[in-house]
Amino acid sequence: MGLMSDSFTIFTREMLIFKSSLRVNIIRSMMFPLVIILFFGQLGNSITNVPVAITNYANNQQSMQFINALEAQGTLSVYAITDQATAMNLLHSGQVYITIVILPTFPNSGTAPGVYIYYANTQFSSIGVALPFIENAAANYGSVVSSQSQAAQSSDNLVVAQPTSGATTSYRDFLIASVIIMAVAFGGIFSGGFSTILDRQLGSIKSFLIAPINKNAIVMGKMMSGTVQSIFYGFLAVLLGLLFGAQITMGIMGFVWIFIIILFVALAFSALALLIASRIKAIEQYAIVAQMITLPTWFLSGAFFPASSFPAFLQPFSVGDPLTYATSAIRQVMLAGYVIPQEMLLDISVIAVFSLVIVLLSFLLFKKTID
Amino acid sequence: MPGEYAVEISNLKKSFGDFQAVKGISLEIKKGEIFGILGPNGAGKTTTLNMLLGILTPTSGKITVEGLDINRDSLRIKQMIGFMTQETVVENALTARDNLRLFARLYHMPKERVEQRVEESLEEAALTNFGDTAAGTFSGGMQRRLSLVRSMIQEPKILILDEPTTGLDVQSRVSMWDHITSLHEKGITVILTTQYLEEADALCDRIAIIDHGEIKALGTASELKRLASEGNILEITVKDSEVERISKMIKSKFGIDTEVDGDKIKADIQKKPLSISIKIAQMLEKEGSDVLAFSMHLPTLDDVFIKLTGNDFRDTASGQNVDQRAKMWRSR
Repeated sequence: MGLMSDSFTIFTREMLIFKSSLRVNIIRSMMFPLVIILFFGQLGNSITNVPVAITNYANNQQSMQFINALEAQGTLSVYAITDQATAMNLLHSGQVYITIVILPTFPNSGTAPGVYIYYANTQFSSIGVALPFIENAAANYGSVVSSQSQAAQSSDNLVVAQPTSGATTSYRDFLIASVIIMAVAFGGIFSGGFSTILDRQLGSIKSFLIAPINKNAIVMGKMMSGTVQSIFYGFLAVLLGLLFGAQITMGIMGFVWIFIIILFVALAFSALALLIASRIKAIEQYAIVAQMITLPTWFLSGAFFPASSFPAFLQPFSVGDPLTYATSAIRQVMLAGYVIPQEMLLDISVIAVFSLVIVLLSFLLFKKTID
Repeated sequence: MPGEYAVEISNLKKSFGDFQAVKGISLEIKKGEIFGILGPNGAGKTTTLNMLLGILTPTSGKITVEGLDINRDSLRIKQMIGFMTQETVVENALTARDNLRLFARLYHMPKERVEQRVEESLEEAALTNFGDTAAGTFSGGMQRRLSLVRSMIQEPKILILDEPTTGLDVQSRVSMWDHITSLHEKGITVILTTQYLEEADALCDRIAIIDHGEIKALGTASELKRLASEGNILEITVKDSEVERISKMIKSKFGIDTEVDGDKIKADIQKKPLSISIKIAQMLEKEGSDVLAFSMHLPTLDDVFIKLTGNDFRDTASGQNVDQRAKMWRSR
């Protein structure tokens, strides 16, 4: 009998166990996403009147319309329209949180930025709301926004930070995209890991090892079921998001993209669960390690703020975090409503390679340590 | 005669780091016999079984099962061996039927046979009416029965039972004994470990006593008891005034050692304990002595066991042993 059919037998067993406490599993997996969307989503919405200073070099009809659009919804409050030196002083003195510089080339700047944003590092929550809002408004004019923190500006070095992908008017939508990734990653880590440790404690693993099957079938079956369960949690979170007003404007293709993104995250974190569980014998210990891995990885992925608005010392961690790419990918689909091919290719490649590496490692280590 | 043995183990060794858990065990288990493995905690029983089950790789030595080498035909051997662990392992979340189906599939039973075999097994375990109930809700005895039929799902030639009755109530234990005897009647080779010596005495054709990773004794229950034959003692209680006289009389008449302890006389009746006891009884009657108590003490497996393995508390008394166990646990 082949590896595949043995894996499928283990998979069936895992899914039966999953099914037997389906309700608990659903509640447990959706609790955290729900709380985050409810509380933090509200927090985002409640941020209004973020003070900004504007320097308008373009001074054309479109730039005037752009400024009106910025003011229209009450998210931003224009403190002054003035020359750049004054605007920068206002930013340094804390009277405004953001200085928006509309370049002379606006709105026809091509791929170069048409709008520069300087913002105060100390005002994360406001910036997290304001930046996507400004980016979205600029995108309506076909213009790209470059954001810079105050710190970068002070050295007078105009190296442009990567603009955040996508744009949205709602902080909640912004959050929902990352909550979906969270549901998948946390689902993978917690369902697969705990069950594996319990299986070893209660002797189920031993009873499988005694059976005439390949050890790899145990890993594979568990990985398959962990992946399926995580994808299930992911789509539950998508549903939850839709309930809270998120939209998938790309229609069916949007769902296909979301599935592909979720698939790799699910695979990676289900495999990671087995990898950790193969080295750890106590449930309590596992819970600590799993949280130490998942929480920072999630926060660093730009879950609450665009990664570009992170302080400089966190930037490298964010770049090395596979969830950054998953979040970026899902935000393209859900927030921008279109896929930027090069960026999507990068995002998907990173999470695909990451998941393959973890899968291989978990096969190697699980097999080695299980006995 | 080739094929006489179900299991042949020769010079089997297993080390965990520098701790030798099994130090060269050799034994043959005949087809169709019930073979008992006794030993105190940490003696190397479970390590030996795990090697036989193919979960642990021996450091050295050879294991042959039904003529097949465990290094070459591991999967075929696994197919032939059923195993019930000392912890009752059932899948709590699964129904009894799903429990059985799972293992029928793991043992690669043809699809069309699975359902039939599942029903047979349920019937055997007297659980037909509970087939669709989650096994986690079963009583201890029911779980143990399910666990047993599950370990037999592929109709193994050899069944290994690791402490099959530990923690069971008296009724369940007796019914487990009946079950094991009936397997024996079907010609299945049964290997069992137990802490209950009377269990080994009642069930096993042959017994190996293992301690410190070595076989201390191997034989039938009565062969082993003979090893502790100095335990054959006759105890006679008489009036204080007569103790010395009768003690001397027994000594001179039958030529055996006696010992006086208060109003008790202890006579060493190693050889032919029964006939000598009868003769002593007849003599006492002829003498008209006032005998208050007359009892014969024959050795049990307990005596043999304690004689061979000592009676120290392994896991607690000796610090070195605890250390070795910890090492073994870590390197698993």
